[in-house]
Amino acid sequence: MVPMTSAPDPHEQHAAPRPGDGAPIEATPAQPHVPARRFADAPPGLLGAERLRPVSLKLIPARYLGGIAGNVFWLVLVIAAIVGTVLTGWWWIAACGLLPLALIAQSLLLTPRRVRAIGYLDGEEDLTIASGIMFRSVHSIPYGRVQSVKIGEGPIERRYGLATLTITTAAGGGTETLPGLPKAEAERLRSLLTDRGIELMAAL
Amino acid sequence: MSSSPTSPAETSPEEGRAPSAPGPHAATEPRPETPRHRTHPITPLVSGWKIVVGVLAVLTAQNIAQLLNEFTIQRALIGAGLLLVAALIAILLSALSWWFTTYSVDEGGVSLHSGMISRSREYAPRARIESVSVERPLLARLLGMAKVRVEVAGSGESYIDIEYVKSAAAEELRRGILGIAEHAAPPEQAMQAQPTHRQDGESATEGGADGSEPAPAASEGSAQTGGALRSFLHDGVTEGELIAQIPTSRLIRSLVRDIGFVSGVLMSIVGVAVAVALAIWQDGINPAMFIALLPTLIALPKYVFGRIESGWGFVSRITERGLRMRRGLANTRTDNIVSGRIQRLELRRPLLWRRPDWTAATVTVAGIEDDGEDGAQNVLPVGTREELRATLGHLAAPLGTDDDMATIEHLLSAPAREIEGLRTRVRMYWIARRTDVTVLLPGALVNRSGLFTRRLEIVPRERIQQLTLSDGPLSRRIGVLDLQVGIAGELVHVSSLPRAEILDLHAVLSRDAATLRRYSDRAHWPQPVLSLTPAAAAQEPLPAEGRLR
Repeated sequence: MVPMTSAPDPHEQHAAPRPGDGAPIEATPAQPHVPARRFADAPPGLLGAERLRPVSLKLIPARYLGGIAGNVFWLVLVIAAIVGTVLTGWWWIAACGLLPLALIAQSLLLTPRRVRAIGYLDGEEDLTIASGIMFRSVHSIPYGRVQSVKIGEGPIERRYGLATLTITTAAGGGTETLPGLPKAEAERLRSLLTDRGIELMAAL
Repeated sequence: MSSSPTSPAETSPEEGRAPSAPGPHAATEPRPETPRHRTHPITPLVSGWKIVVGVLAVLTAQNIAQLLNEFTIQRALIGAGLLLVAALIAILLSALSWWFTTYSVDEGGVSLHSGMISRSREYAPRARIESVSVERPLLARLLGMAKVRVEVAGSGESYIDIEYVKSAAAEELRRGILGIAEHAAPPEQAMQAQPTHRQDGESATEGGADGSEPAPAASEGSAQTGGALRSFLHDGVTEGELIAQIPTSRLIRSLVRDIGFVSGVLMSIVGVAVAVALAIWQDGINPAMFIALLPTLIALPKYVFGRIESGWGFVSRITERGLRMRRGLANTRTDNIVSGRIQRLELRRPLLWRRPDWTAATVTVAGIEDDGEDGAQNVLPVGTREELRATLGHLAAPLGTDDDMATIEHLLSAPAREIEGLRTRVRMYWIARRTDVTVLLPGALVNRSGLFTRRLEIVPRERIQQLTLSDGPLSRRIGVLDLQVGIAGELVHVSSLPRAEILDLHAVLSRDAATLRRYSDRAHWPQPVLSLTPAAAAQEPLPAEGRLR
């Protein structure tokens, strides 16, 4: 049986390589000891939510404004279903209208909660971005692994003084976006990411 | 290439985003005075031929029944004439595009200009060159031509193809490009070094010493007998220490023992036979039926042949420029993988390979997205334990255990229950509970899976780019979480582990991703154990042998 540790701490092993060890770990980087940050599994299921910073609440009206076009389209479908039911008397046409109605309802009701669920934290070594209520994902992006940072401002965002930060890493599908940042904060994050990125740059 | 002067500090491969490297090499465009070359004048014939075959295939595949029914001599002559005209036009077009295609190699990188009406200028800076392969498709091979593919880090079609040049010139190009990619020697020096190499190679091959420096131009018309033949058969991969060589008998036996492959082939044969029998029973023999089956009739032998070709005559040797591999029966190719650029490693052992102890190894290298069986990623189609040990020892960073090979062997051969690690406890996933284990070693994260064909997915912990935790209503209910580990160009999934365990794993891995493999401590980066690079040797005066055993 080969000795195997299920969750070893490489840094401790680096610090004290066992004497007479046939296979010393070559990775003995003289790096600062960084304590592992473990996310708390909060009971409501919002992973790591207690430590994250919220994004600007102006994103709620911005999202409502941006969603108008889609909602109007769904509304037209609902009206068409109602008119169709009245004209033909077939009830299942009205049933078809329920789906767009549900889409409109969730957009109106859940947008504030969704915006409040978005959070980020510019930590010592990495940036954490979290979003979602039911299907929640938490991304950890080390500063040294960032390939590019982009600030985007759409017309609606600009009206509310907001910006969206897009961060790319080399990982497969590694593009994360962080919406709803005040412009100054987006600028601060971008310069933090590039400055810290150059300082801590890691190879592929 | 022992004569190229290198300083140890300069040889460690520069990859990813180099921290702003000022100087003459930082130029993004090649200097204008470097000479530009055209590819070999026979190129239009080879590529024009492809167009004709393509047109012909499309036309006949759709109308073959009608053509056969209305066959006359006159029609055949008209058809042949049209074909000739089409061929001439195709060759003319190819010739034009050949005339406007030029390449150049300078100390900044490789550039390729092409296009007559809309011109394109591609440029591969040397710091981004991941590997160089030489491919010889059948027709080009018969004409003594080869294609040089320069792979650059990046997604999608991130490569530059120089097609076609003479085989010997391709070898020279490969050496030159790899030389500048490692900034070991500027191309002038590499070119100057060539003649001396040639002499060395000739004298050595005449002496019959194995592992000698081959003549890159040994097959170039000279009346050499043994050395030239050997160099031709092995596509010039005769230098360096032999890592793995797959005899044809082992290749065939490995395919026969691969249950997935055999059952797939058998099932398609039976399927075709049943379809033919049914059709004949229904309405006799008619050509339309065969045309309907044509895709299958072509695809099946192609698949079988592809599997055979991917391992036929496979030889890998370690050189100063990394692992060199050669494979292929009709179309041959030689690939080059620089050691220490492995982002992910996958080992595969089908059920019946367990007794002879064979393993297949595939690697992920940033920029090489050649998913085919015969691509550069397939570094060992079917290897013995010794060959696996040598390949991994030269290519991949150590796992950090006392005995890496024994660890890998244990992880591959032991029943999943006996492996100490993280596993799902959800009753619903009743197969995964018994077959999937995630093990965190000091140097790597290892995922073991597979019921019959056992797979090991090994991700070096220093290569993790990004981590994502995903939660959903169902996971919350059954108390599990999913973790996606992002490595360059790929996502590795660790799914359905208990929430507390995966949060611990996430904490450890995110610290690794944030702190390991920084440029600021590049002297301490883990190197492949059996690495030949002088930089590694200078850092580790300890004897490198035996550490992996």
